[in-house]
Amino acid sequence: MVSLLRTSMGTDRSAKTATGTWRKRTAVPLLFLLLISGLAFGPLVHETAASKQKPAGPQEQPIALVGGTVHTVSDGVIEGATVLFESGVITGIGTDLALPENTRVIDVTGKHVYPGLIAAPTTIGLTEIGSVWATQDHIETGNVTPSVRAVTAVNPDSEYFPVARANGVLTALTVPSGGLISGLSGLVAMDGWTTEEMTLVATVGLHVRWPSYRVRDIPGLGGPEEQIKARKAALARLRDAFREARAYMIAKEAESGGGPFHPSDLGWESMIPVLKKELPVFIHASEEKQIHAALDWALAEDLSVVLVGGADAWRVADRLTQNGIPVIVGAVHYLPARRWEAYDAPFTNALKLHEAGLDFCIGQGSGASNVRNLPFHAATAAAYGLPKEEALKSVTLYPARILGVEDRLGSLETGKDATLIVTSGDPLEIMTQVERAFIQGRPVDITSKHTDLYDKYRTRLEQVK
Amino acid sequence: MFKTCRYLVLAALLAGIINLAAEAQQTAPQAGLRENPSRVHALENARIYVRPDLVIDKGIVVIRDGLIVEAGTAVEIPPDAQRWDYSGQTIYPGLIEMFTQAGLTEEEAARTSGSSHWNPAVRPDRSAADAYRVREAEIERLRSSGFAAAMVVADLGVFAGSSAVVNLGSGSPNENVLKRDVFQHLRMKRNRDRTYPASMMGVVALMRQTILDAQWYRDAHAAYAANPRQDRPEDNDALAALDRVAARGQAVLMSVDDDHAFLRAARLADEFGLRFLVRGSGHEYRMLDAVREAGAPVILPLDFPRSDNFSVSTPEDALDVTLESLRHWELAPGNPGMLHRAGIPIALSSTRLDKGAEFHERVREAIEHGLAYEAALAALTTTPASMLGLGSRLGTLDPGKLANMTITDGPLFAENVNVQDVWVAGNRHVITPRPVTDPRGAWVVVLQGDSLSLSIEGAPGAPKGTLDKDGNSMNAVRMALEDARIAFSVEDEALGEDGVWRFSGSIQGDRITGRGIRPGGESVVWSAERTAPREAETKDIPAPAEVAEPPALYPPGAFGRESAPAQPEHLVVRNATVWTLDERGKLEHADVIIREGKIVEVGTGLVAPAGAEEIDGTGKHVTPGIIDAHSHTAILEGINEGTQAVTAEVGIGDVIDSYDIAMYRELAGGLTAANVLHGSANPIGGKNQIIKLRWGAGPEELKFTQAKSGIKFALGENVKRSNWRILSDRYPQSRMGVEQIIRDRFRAASEYQQAWDRYEALADKSDVVPPRRDLELETLQEVLTGERLVHCHSYRQDEILMLLRVADDFGFTIGTFQHVLEGYKVAPELAAHGAGASAFSDWWAFKVEAYDAIPHNGALMHDAGVLVTFNSDSNELARRLNTEAAKAVKYGGVDEVEALKFVTLNAAVQLAVDPWVGSLEPGKDADFVIWNGHPLSTYTKCEQTWIDGRKYFDIDEDRQMRIEVEKERTRLIQKLLRSPEVDDGSPETEDRAPEA
Repeated sequence: MVSLLRTSMGTDRSAKTATGTWRKRTAVPLLFLLLISGLAFGPLVHETAASKQKPAGPQEQPIALVGGTVHTVSDGVIEGATVLFESGVITGIGTDLALPENTRVIDVTGKHVYPGLIAAPTTIGLTEIGSVWATQDHIETGNVTPSVRAVTAVNPDSEYFPVARANGVLTALTVPSGGLISGLSGLVAMDGWTTEEMTLVATVGLHVRWPSYRVRDIPGLGGPEEQIKARKAALARLRDAFREARAYMIAKEAESGGGPFHPSDLGWESMIPVLKKELPVFIHASEEKQIHAALDWALAEDLSVVLVGGADAWRVADRLTQNGIPVIVGAVHYLPARRWEAYDAPFTNALKLHEAGLDFCIGQGSGASNVRNLPFHAATAAAYGLPKEEALKSVTLYPARILGVEDRLGSLETGKDATLIVTSGDPLEIMTQVERAFIQGRPVDITSKHTDLYDKYRTRLEQVK
Repeated sequence: MFKTCRYLVLAALLAGIINLAAEAQQTAPQAGLRENPSRVHALENARIYVRPDLVIDKGIVVIRDGLIVEAGTAVEIPPDAQRWDYSGQTIYPGLIEMFTQAGLTEEEAARTSGSSHWNPAVRPDRSAADAYRVREAEIERLRSSGFAAAMVVADLGVFAGSSAVVNLGSGSPNENVLKRDVFQHLRMKRNRDRTYPASMMGVVALMRQTILDAQWYRDAHAAYAANPRQDRPEDNDALAALDRVAARGQAVLMSVDDDHAFLRAARLADEFGLRFLVRGSGHEYRMLDAVREAGAPVILPLDFPRSDNFSVSTPEDALDVTLESLRHWELAPGNPGMLHRAGIPIALSSTRLDKGAEFHERVREAIEHGLAYEAALAALTTTPASMLGLGSRLGTLDPGKLANMTITDGPLFAENVNVQDVWVAGNRHVITPRPVTDPRGAWVVVLQGDSLSLSIEGAPGAPKGTLDKDGNSMNAVRMALEDARIAFSVEDEALGEDGVWRFSGSIQGDRITGRGIRPGGESVVWSAERTAPREAETKDIPAPAEVAEPPALYPPGAFGRESAPAQPEHLVVRNATVWTLDERGKLEHADVIIREGKIVEVGTGLVAPAGAEEIDGTGKHVTPGIIDAHSHTAILEGINEGTQAVTAEVGIGDVIDSYDIAMYRELAGGLTAANVLHGSANPIGGKNQIIKLRWGAGPEELKFTQAKSGIKFALGENVKRSNWRILSDRYPQSRMGVEQIIRDRFRAASEYQQAWDRYEALADKSDVVPPRRDLELETLQEVLTGERLVHCHSYRQDEILMLLRVADDFGFTIGTFQHVLEGYKVAPELAAHGAGASAFSDWWAFKVEAYDAIPHNGALMHDAGVLVTFNSDSNELARRLNTEAAKAVKYGGVDEVEALKFVTLNAAVQLAVDPWVGSLEPGKDADFVIWNGHPLSTYTKCEQTWIDGRKYFDIDEDRQMRIEVEKERTRLIQKLLRSPEVDDGSPETEDRAPEA
């Protein structure tokens, strides 16, 4: 019986067949979504070329940013301070630092120094042109694809990287976005010649997308009963997958202890660290009902959990706090889901989580092209009550903490990566300019396709005038 | 004999009835023997509603040859009458169903005529009288609800055809059709199969064009008949049939399914001077004034929301239930009463209800929620009769009317009252069969010398009995009645033998004689005498209960208003940073003085009129209201009429959704006006509508009436269906074709105008076929004359240049290029032409044509001298356009004052509303925003939004409204939970399908 189930599920999950009943049920909406987003039938030509900006080489010389206002994030603001970094790591912050002999000194008087901003979640590097399917690498076929890894498909030459870092976003969690168990996210630095050079953490977490409980009137989704049936089937699928993964883990453990050979399964194999709580599960869920159901499930499974999206998270803040579940507030700029809700419910979600005392950070939606607007999401949360320092932390230190890289990123501290920006002011203000950026001590080109085209057509303007 | 004759003459005279023939006339040949049952009846001993307001406690109705002779107390019963004892029953005039598809087959409905209309949704030539078939099952269903006559009407397409009135009798349509071609049925329904009209604005445009076409058709054929030596106008059955509406005053029945559809129908009727009535939605109570003003009678469906359709039992599910739907649940049963009290003629319909019994329950509910009993009766008898123009034949039991009667065993609509018989044109149809004998009552049983009492109750056909012997009560089980035979069993020690006793017997009047079998098998004899008949229960006439009506809100859900915000006569904002956006740009510590909605003065140290309302602006910033130059907010049922490449005839103004919560949310971000546009599916889309966000006003009041008209055009991937290729082979499929179709349509518009000019110049037009009015070409002609602005969706530089050159060639100026993502590449050309540019600030890469979009676009175009705006194209982004403007500062270094103009003054100029809005200058409308900080700062929030000197958003008032919303939701959810039969059904949803 068990082996039968195992076989059918294995087939279902594989990319080769499309015969599983669950797949059939989802085929219509998926096709519809592809149609409306234009993915399915767009031109199949890869329209894009490599970005022009050249990655910098490793930091070979100590660099000191001198005279600026240093926003450490973790330890307050220091006026007229120096930030010194060597071999990619911050080696000193202070007003009376002794600089090594060969230090390159950059005067940033009147400027501000901040840690680089961290965006989570995104699909950056996995997509280029929304309507061109050939440029989409964030959705794998099948609903249960736990083993696919985002960092293997990141295109270092995507124009999205220079565009994002121009606004100070220097690190991103890039995430597979297909199906039910989407795959493994990775943390990338937004500069590097190769995917490997860019990768900071190859495997950050396993992403699970909790089915919605809301019945929608969207062509292709079917009637209420069909939708409820589809949701129940998806949840059964999810539970089965974790049960199967556990069974696989036990079989493999038995095998290594001298038991019978068990053939390998990349999907279940990839979930073993999750089952052992070495890797968190990022559960994408927004509605209160979804969040409760996801918590019920995750607690029963004894998993390490991060909640992503979480529009209703504030309604569940008590329970999230009690269980120590951190929340990635998916975005701030979105509309209330329900007609009767307060217009600013999305703007105040983070504030309420902050007040409840739980760990949170702020994202910019799940897309990739405007990761550059991340800081403005945090700013809107501040406009509606989140203390400004918290807003800044919510895109620096807090994502670093939730993503498990607090030891390297998120604040300006000795020993952390020299991944930082020099700005004309508060990076959460749109009108502020990012003037310099460093990733692991390497000065990063902050021009982009956009500034290139701007310069080019500025020239036309001058010629025609 | 003589006496009878004299009586007949007398009775006939009394009723004004003419009776020449001995039997009913028929044209069909007689098959077999003739049947001539009695056609004279006397219905006696009944309570009689002669009319809704005239009741006879105990009287007689005499009918002859299908007509009422007389109904009254002192009515002489004709000697030839068949007599019916209706003791304990009530006779009503036969009910009239005003909206049914009974008897209409789908095949008949789908049949097209020879010279049909190009659009299959236009079938005014369809006649319900032709299609009607006497289909017993369907008719029986209506009769079981008490209906004796009905208006049958096809219910498909946009022009569904003419309705007919039929008697719900058996036999053939020949005997039953009472009146044909009563109303032309127009339906506010879009096609769901991707054919025109796929949007509601397309529906309205199709209605308008078709009515115009019918008028033209008549004139054209008259002219052609007078002089056949000219191009013959086409033959068209649909347009010919519409002549009844267009020229001969046939009234129109408009089917509407929501509040806005009602208003739309009323406007259309007004526009064409149509007489009309409405098959309503059940929401009419929300806009009583508008309904009364429309002056149309309303046919009301009674499908009130049921409490078991609401998922409120778990708190999480309840989140997704809207306040609007909760309020409607509470108020909908009061709709008929409220309309009636407002003096609006109403008819009640069973349409959309499944079961016959349900109809009576719903009417009862309506009565309990405030509809007077008489009014409910009138809404099913006299009012429909007069709506149908059949007041002389239907609706009452006055002499000479058709003998249509509905007979019940108690007050109609009361609980547990059933329709007994329905008489249709003098023919009796049994609805509830009565048993031959009624065994109910108190009996004394004699069994083996013992005397027992037997009480029989229950329904007449399903009696239930109890025996009593010396105080021992025993159930008479398995009691069965078949005609006059009754049987039952008893098992009780009190009878003296352990086991089951079986009894059967015959009822003759008040006596039963029968036989029994004892448990042991011996036979016994028993008999019974009825000592008392069953006590007739008197059922009360349903009556209105006290109903508390919460104040009406507009829109009728969360954040709705009871009335428009007040407009202070004098208002002054003191000591703020005022972004005037005139030549002064920005003033510190300035005052703004407003009078009756207009700005009077802006400056420092101003003296305000005495009694002026004061707002302390210290530390605040005041800017003109934000204007969104590209919005799809507040559009009902379809943003695109994407079924054709050219749809200039459709208009957003016909489908404004004054309930869209997006408007309130946008007000909370400082937005005061928006250019509401058709989508980008077509090279030539539909007309736009500029609105002011006067939240709480109706769709017409939202319109910015002084604004210049416009139209949406679109170029590039969307119109050539690049990303939807599987769904379309529509022309054009390339940017080359896009140019050609636009040129062709402008040429057509220009030639159209020439044709009219030639026609108008004729000295004698009487026998000349006139040009046909073409709403598409008229709209485009307005573009050519400069009366209408083109707002063109565009991305790539080549297509932008293309349209500039087309416009140059036709001699007009493009209003704006929308999105205009590569506008920066042709900024000098845009400036030279004088077109405005309205861009996304920083969206890019979602399509191939958006891959070269840069956020510096606005700044580059601005520097080239183009009038630039940043727009939202999104209900979400429209809430924070002020910080979008900041992106013009960030990307390209536009000055702050100039940047703020990107979302205010420049938008006003682009939309030609700058004489009224866009800056804070004397004489302009008092549309302004108070911010708690610098308007371009991401840390700033909007505190107040004013339009026409009225405060439509206030951050403190909003806090209060949230509390009210929560309270009201809680109250209603409590009420729902305490109402019977709540279960956890499928959750309600407020998601709508996204539309590109």
